Amino acid sequence: MSPLGLLVMGAPRSAAADVASVLALLPPHLSVPVVLALHRGPLDALAAPLGRRCALPVVEPDDKDELQPGCVYLAPAGYHLLVDGGCVALSVEPPEHGQRPGLDALFESAADSHGPRAAGLLFSGHEDGVAGLLALHARGGRVAVVGDFQTGGEGEEGEMAQLTLGTVGGWLARLAYVPRSKVQP
Amino acid sequence: MTGPGARGAELEALEVDLLLEGVARQWGFDLRSRSRPQLLRRLRRHLREERLESFSALQGRVLHDAEAMDALLRTLSCTPPALFAEAAFFRDFRARVVPALRTWPSVRVWHAGCGTGEDTYALAILLYEEGLWGKCRLYASDASEGLLADARTGVLPLPSDEDARRYLEAGGKGALCDYYTRDGNWALLQPRLRDSIFFTQHNLATDGSFNEFHVIVCRDTLLTFNRALHNHVHSRLFESLARFGFLCLGRKESVARTPHAGAYEALEDCGRIYRRVA
Repeated sequence: MSPLGLLVMGAPRSAAADVASVLALLPPHLSVPVVLALHRGPLDALAAPLGRRCALPVVEPDDKDELQPGCVYLAPAGYHLLVDGGCVALSVEPPEHGQRPGLDALFESAADSHGPRAAGLLFSGHEDGVAGLLALHARGGRVAVVGDFQTGGEGEEGEMAQLTLGTVGGWLARLAYVPRSKVQP
Repeated sequence: MTGPGARGAELEALEVDLLLEGVARQWGFDLRSRSRPQLLRRLRRHLREERLESFSALQGRVLHDAEAMDALLRTLSCTPPALFAEAAFFRDFRARVVPALRTWPSVRVWHAGCGTGEDTYALAILLYEEGLWGKCRLYASDASEGLLADARTGVLPLPSDEDARRYLEAGGKGALCDYYTRDGNWALLQPRLRDSIFFTQHNLATDGSFNEFHVIVCRDTLLTFNRALHNHVHSRLFESLARFGFLCLGRKESVARTPHAGAYEALEDCGRIYRRVA
């Protein structure tokens, strides 16, 4: 399995409290950047409240800022947040599913730029994000859903981990685990 | 891991590269220096909307058909959909830039990347209200002739109540409906504003500086470029900006890490308006 290079998270507005709980679980010495898109209105102040219980700094990046390991990048209001290799890219493409920032946009860009080196975590509760998460899954990324998740399709969600707030900590810990001497087959 | 998804992705990347190469050689638009994730997303959307099977099929179409090429450029551009879409910028512009403009005998303003012109017209209304219209020359440019043709008509979707509210929030001094005539679901901007704007085709990626300006408005246009082209364009903008002129960027854009970062000073407490000081 490829070493992890990026953790992307997407959440609808209703899951904002759950996102704060999960951010609090992140280890202070995380070796990858975390990129987070959360549905939001133009005036919501989110970075400060989300950062309060999180060991990592939570910032709203400017366009083309570099991704640093151990930092949480929150999509600013009114922009889609995309990943472009080691940088973020903001975009003013039209809202999707009525949302900008959108979740599909972030997952899709992570699938393109990191593929199997990306891990994706979707908080359920909105149709946005499902297609993007499946795209990331198809490109070999490790994906999971927090909360109830139903898709119309069959089989696709077979390998997709379904988590609760209680089990997401274990999933994150396994992601971050890097074997010291990797045995190549 | 090389699953079917990964193989499909490799083939897609190859097709995209061929398409961009073809477009650059046939039409002179080098889309290879666009921001890759956004470009991929726009291209995929365009493919779905055109009901085409693959980027190879799209390539066949755009190489032979100028209209198809223009439709592609149109999909790639993202103009704000309404007048005064970002009220805070216009409020700051009024409060911080307009007073300086009053002190100059004549003012040249360049709106780079005007798209279908919504922000250009908002800017024109603002300058008019501040009594600067007589001494201002407003240039608006875009790379796409199709978008410019739309902008030149001065016809916009009828502004909503929400647009009128944002106009007031932006410091509007009259009523937004004073500036257009309604025609069904469309609004025709007042000809006295429309006709004094100088719309011109200009490709930021390839064309040089064409005048010296006191104000350059280039908001969220450079988001679509990759870092190298973004920096190249910033050099062109710098060359086009008079000393003590103003550079207005989007809310999440910055001159940091551009070649001329040191020559700008950010105006305090207001979005991303920079003044050239060196």
